[in-house]
Amino acid sequence: MENFLKKFTQNLAYYFSEHLNKPIAKPLWIYISLSHKCTYRCQMCGVVNILEGYELSSDTVKRILDEIASWKWDSTIVITGGEPFLREDIFDIIDHGSSLGLKLEVVSNGSLITPALSKKIIASGLKNIAISLDGSRKESHDLVRAKGAFEKALDAIKNLAASKRALKSGPQISVWTTIMKENVNELFEMIPLVKNLGVECLVYHPVVVAQEDMQNTSSEARFWLNNNDLEVLKKQVAKISSYEKHYGLVAFLHDPYMWVKHFKQELTKKEWKCNPFVFINVGPDGNVRSCGAAFGNIIDSSLGDCLKSSQADKARKIMKGCRKPCLQTCWANPEADSLPDIIDTFIRDLRRDKPGAKEKNEVLTAALAKLTEYEELVKECEI
Amino acid sequence: MRNLKEVILSITNRCNLRCRMCDIPFGKVSELSTDQWKGVIHDASRLGAETIVFSGGEPLIREDIFDLVRFARKNNMNACITSNGLLLDEEKAAKLKESAVSVVNISIEGVKETHDSLRGSGSFDKALAALDNLKKYKIESTVASTVSKYNYADLPDIVNTAKVHGSTTVRLQPFNIIFLKDPKRLSEFLIDKNDIPKVEGIIKRFIDSSREYKIATNPSSYLAKIPVYLSGRKLRPRSCSALWYSCPINPNGDVFPCWIEGADNKLIGNITQSGLYELWLSEKRISAINLIKEKGCKGCLMSCYDEAFDNQLSKEYVISQAKKIKKIIDYRKVINKTRQFLNRQLTNLKLRYRFYVSYRGSFFKLIKRRLANVYNKQKETGDDRMPNKEKILLEISKAKIKINKEIQSL
Repeated sequence: MENFLKKFTQNLAYYFSEHLNKPIAKPLWIYISLSHKCTYRCQMCGVVNILEGYELSSDTVKRILDEIASWKWDSTIVITGGEPFLREDIFDIIDHGSSLGLKLEVVSNGSLITPALSKKIIASGLKNIAISLDGSRKESHDLVRAKGAFEKALDAIKNLAASKRALKSGPQISVWTTIMKENVNELFEMIPLVKNLGVECLVYHPVVVAQEDMQNTSSEARFWLNNNDLEVLKKQVAKISSYEKHYGLVAFLHDPYMWVKHFKQELTKKEWKCNPFVFINVGPDGNVRSCGAAFGNIIDSSLGDCLKSSQADKARKIMKGCRKPCLQTCWANPEADSLPDIIDTFIRDLRRDKPGAKEKNEVLTAALAKLTEYEELVKECEI
Repeated sequence: MRNLKEVILSITNRCNLRCRMCDIPFGKVSELSTDQWKGVIHDASRLGAETIVFSGGEPLIREDIFDLVRFARKNNMNACITSNGLLLDEEKAAKLKESAVSVVNISIEGVKETHDSLRGSGSFDKALAALDNLKKYKIESTVASTVSKYNYADLPDIVNTAKVHGSTTVRLQPFNIIFLKDPKRLSEFLIDKNDIPKVEGIIKRFIDSSREYKIATNPSSYLAKIPVYLSGRKLRPRSCSALWYSCPINPNGDVFPCWIEGADNKLIGNITQSGLYELWLSEKRISAINLIKEKGCKGCLMSCYDEAFDNQLSKEYVISQAKKIKKIIDYRKVINKTRQFLNRQLTNLKLRYRFYVSYRGSFFKLIKRRLANVYNKQKETGDDRMPNKEKILLEISKAKIKINKEIQSL
């Protein structure tokens, strides 16, 4: 009951933040990149070469986590890198976050996850551990990452699953797969593979050709899908989505057929829209970004101040003007794109829950009060 | 008000022949001077006239005829002379050529015997000589006949003569009483009612042979009326455009609405008192014309309004058709040139396309992709516009209504 109201108010906040251009909502996804150090030099990822030698100190990260906890917002904090497990203080940070009641996730390539480490991970307060796996065959995964990477990733997943079975609780084990030219014909094959390994969630996301230049999506680009591949992708998507309907496992943040459109470069902003308030990324140098331009540094100010700064306004304007939807899982909150949708979802969820009349009345009245509040705000503001 | 088209100048009543059907030479009147006639011609051109017809009497009797023709031509008008051809020797023909006359109209009434009996012995040979002289000097000649009881049988022979002597047109005009002083002589020229079918047959043969020889004649519907008219019936035209665009002027400068009315001395005015320009635009003329229109005219079958009988031969029609034909010819030229040009371009394009495809891939896919991009961009810009304040407020109020409904349903 409370959760529905919370979700509803959050979605309202995103909706009105976007339209009033005011940081009413706090970010839904906060990516913290501890450092760009990595065990691999993957072909589709260029971050290793940027900001070399920068590291976010343990204290800074803890300060960020403290601030996020004070928002009492339903955010997810994703600790990423480089390779996060290269940091020795990683469990220190995770413990700090989980003690504050935050949702923490870690993205790893799995190269360092030995049985000993996996026990630690499962025992920590993490909500989710994501391993990157770029194919069902050794060749395709190793081609883009490094020799032996496939085996290591599979081992990591096996270790994690074994530890979780032993402990009977722990973070969700998920696999992230980048859709690209090399693995387009084995996307569906991933499902039986990871399911047998004990993975609970599989996420696909289209390739970003170069981290430095998100907009470079020409069909000549290295990993981009050409017309023949698109036919393959269509068939794969059909299989995957029908599997998802019956068995779950695969998590879609949006309609998977949008991938095909995305690779055809026919995706419009009507179908896919970035909400600039949904996502922020804290880099190893402490710079806070949403997409592209940085707006403030976490080392000499707080996250809240960064979000309120005039630079943040500018960055968000640039995001709104973005013409090429990148279709990454992080940028959008489609639930909050239209007000009627938000209301409908809210009412539908309430009905499904079948609460008592008194409770329901309370929740609805609260929702109405919230709406009235925003109505006043809209009347005051200039759009 | 329609424009003046032709001015018929009867520059003299004098004549070197005394024809049986014409008493004009007996009416002796004073004649306008060369300068006065030039004034008339100048005024006619100011009024937009296209043709000056020099008639008479015998216009070639006047020595200044060449001067007047030259003047008319200088004023951008056609100059036509109606003559019996007696005076048209080689010298006169050369002079006419030099003065750039447009058309010379020679009267021929039929075969030699008929012609000589009507016009005087020896006149037929001289008329033929005149036609030959005109042909020699490459002046367009036409043949005119006054159709009457005496000569209707010879009409097909006239076409023959015209063809042989290089004329382009045969103009027929039935006999009219205005050319005679004594109205009692009218019956002398009319045909018997029983002969109408016979005359009709001859007219038909005349039309056929003119078509065969490619000689132009009056509109056939006009010619078809001649037999009935010659039998003595009065024919009144439904609309006589001659009143509006043709202006007859007598040798002494009298201007009247029409030849027939002129015989009744219905004068508009005289050139010596006020110029043609003033007379033509005067209220007197317009009221005179309107009077004729209201009361109706005596009726005639003069060739000056034969155009009224056949739209297809009216000047405008002929000109428009000629223009159309010219245009079509031009179009064909343009089309041909364009086709050649396009063919050249097509081959160029084909070669270029082959070249292009060899290293860029299919041209159509490229275009398709570009179009898709443009289309998407348009869509995006449409979506880029954020909803304005009113829209958001409206959505909020709708949302409130929904929640209120939900509350009420409890």
